[in-house]
Amino acid sequence: MAPTKAANTKATNIPRSMAQDPLQQIYDVIVVGSGATGGWAAKRLSEAGLKVALLEAGRAVSAKEFTEHMPSFQLKYRNHSPEVMRTRPIQRQCYACMDYNYEWFVNDLENPYSTPADKPFSWQRLRILGGRSLVWGRQSYRLSDVDFKAASRDGYDVDWPISYSDLAPYYDIVEGYVGITGAAEGNQMLPDGKFLPPMKMSCGEIRLRESVKKNFGRTLTIGRAAILTQPHNGRAPCHYCGPCERGCFTYSYFSSPFTTVKDALKTGNCTLITDAIVSHVDMDPTANKARGVTFVHRATKETKQVSGKAVVLCAQSLESTRILLNSSTREYPNGLANSSGMLGHYLMDHVVGGGASGTFEDLKTLPSANPPHRPNGIYLVRFRNTPAEGRHPHFIRGYGFQGGSGPHFNLNASGIGADYKKAVKLGIYEVSLGAFGESLANFDNFCEIDPHLKDAWGIPALRISMAHGKNEAALMHDAGMTAAEMLEAAGARDVRVTIGTEMPGMAVHEVGTARMGNDRKTSVLNAFGQSHDISNLVVADGSCFVSSACQNPTLTMMALCVRASDHLVERFKRNEV
Amino acid sequence: MRSALCLGAATLVPGLSFAQAIEAGLTPAARGEDGSKFLSDPNWKPAFLNAPQNETLIALSDVIIPTTETPGAKEALVNRFLDLLLSIEPAESQRQFTEALAAMDTESQKQFGKNFRELAIADQIWLVTPWSYPADADPWIGEQRRSNSAQQHFLRLKRLISYAYYGSEIGQKELGWDGEFTHGPYEGCEHKGDKHT
Repeated sequence: MAPTKAANTKATNIPRSMAQDPLQQIYDVIVVGSGATGGWAAKRLSEAGLKVALLEAGRAVSAKEFTEHMPSFQLKYRNHSPEVMRTRPIQRQCYACMDYNYEWFVNDLENPYSTPADKPFSWQRLRILGGRSLVWGRQSYRLSDVDFKAASRDGYDVDWPISYSDLAPYYDIVEGYVGITGAAEGNQMLPDGKFLPPMKMSCGEIRLRESVKKNFGRTLTIGRAAILTQPHNGRAPCHYCGPCERGCFTYSYFSSPFTTVKDALKTGNCTLITDAIVSHVDMDPTANKARGVTFVHRATKETKQVSGKAVVLCAQSLESTRILLNSSTREYPNGLANSSGMLGHYLMDHVVGGGASGTFEDLKTLPSANPPHRPNGIYLVRFRNTPAEGRHPHFIRGYGFQGGSGPHFNLNASGIGADYKKAVKLGIYEVSLGAFGESLANFDNFCEIDPHLKDAWGIPALRISMAHGKNEAALMHDAGMTAAEMLEAAGARDVRVTIGTEMPGMAVHEVGTARMGNDRKTSVLNAFGQSHDISNLVVADGSCFVSSACQNPTLTMMALCVRASDHLVERFKRNEV
Repeated sequence: MRSALCLGAATLVPGLSFAQAIEAGLTPAARGEDGSKFLSDPNWKPAFLNAPQNETLIALSDVIIPTTETPGAKEALVNRFLDLLLSIEPAESQRQFTEALAAMDTESQKQFGKNFRELAIADQIWLVTPWSYPADADPWIGEQRRSNSAQQHFLRLKRLISYAYYGSEIGQKELGWDGEFTHGPYEGCEHKGDKHT
């Protein structure tokens, strides 16, 4: 039986943690950002007994505004709304920004940024409770020591200051709470976790999986996704309606407002302050400590302060760095916590654009307009530059493939009239693979404050300067070729290849700009996300990444955030903050 | 959940309730508006197309996706939806569309001395059917066969008509949609053993 909407939208009574004005308190920790990482920071810190203020730049969100069960023909423009084109010309480059939910995404007219003319960058972001966790792709993969120690193997750049063994316990914590569907494969490039039951594969996917194993010795597995396939932590399993990015009234995919943030508020130790657009961190220069943050209220545009003993930035890689760059003081003239000069540098975003697609003409399964729609794909584990294979002559690092195979309606069928209507319904059995490649850490890919540009709240905006290089282009060239080879070998016909690189930002996997490291001269943060310069300032989102690897980054961001948060709790216990 | 998540908003914007604060930031879809109703408005008038263009579009959509045992493009009001989209498209797309419609008349005039919309349905079908199949490629490099521009215009219109039809409620039902959003878990391949066909 289909679950009903009423069951999950009843009000939950949560005690108000503080009767007084929330801005007059001195909190233990101020967490900036309520997305995948900010939610975790708020949860871990408040559950440990610390008093937390959780600041979110956008408004609150309600399950009543979810639209996952609204047919697209009820949208007046069926996803071509002129309002979206006018106010979200950049955001709508993201597949998840639609006529249904565009108000969750920032208004590009109010939130400008600049780029050099020859270096376009697509910055796709949300300002609403939960941030991008409301619309994320949910793919969840662990990094391995092949990633953390990549520099030691190929000599490019530096290793992470942590090993897989440092992070594994935190991957366990995050996966155990979030609930990740997937299958263990025992592939050293992609460590297994504790998975909920895997989703099923289609005929075409099973055929491709068996063929790439037999012909190439490569591992193709069902996507590992933050979607429940059985009841988990009070949330119901997926009902397979399909479009998670429009919300889920059963909360079956992981989003922070209905999980981590809810838990944090339940403790009574966490005060949520929405509509708080943080402009900068406030410093006590004598003590060389952060003493709070200043924000501009989204609606009233009033400037306000909130005070705390520690500040944790989880605003998203570029936003957290923007806050620090906008927090310059006499002591830190080039941006707060930037004595290394590395703040803003080493911006990365997975390179995408290489892949192939084709058809399995002999598979006769008919397409269906009806659910179930599996909100998950297949994953082909990285096979280039593995320890076993050795170094590729044309590039370092590697890529993984995501894709799928199944029958689709064939609107491109030939003919007209009754024959055409019939051919459309007979469909076409498609198979496709698209690569996500490692974006090399490069000092020259960076963001800085644009001296001439401010957002609608008067906060100086970013200038982002990033381009994919030769290595990224070679990865996508190779990916187009290997995808085509694997599809052909599996019996696909009409194979088409793409080998270009899309503009940075299009993977929406941006990481880096405040890298962690053991050397304070070459990194912004230590291995726990703590600023080398300012001991009570922590950055616990994707900013801290040293390399991008090729796996979707959110799971690793959350694990790093839990590790950083737990470390901060320990320091509070030892009275070090 | 609402009471839990409203703390900040309620505290910081006195006089504005949580419901109002959210309402101000909702898409029409999130407010539950059915935006398709304008299509069946009895007083509907084209926003972009002129009357002859609209008639040509209706005639062509009826030829490409006619009423069979199921409703066709005319019942799905494909012309009205395309007119709406065209009204907000950039001038270049608008020009391409009206040129494509005009090309149907040009070819029709050549063959029949009449505009497309004035032809008998059998003649309309006779005219466009060859354009609805892919052109055979020329094997000789350097001697590319001149592309048939009437065919390109037709295929552009066919793509848009098909997109508008199958995106409509009638079109979704034509594809078999039963109006439900949940049908239990995805069971994947149903075949036993290792034969996947």
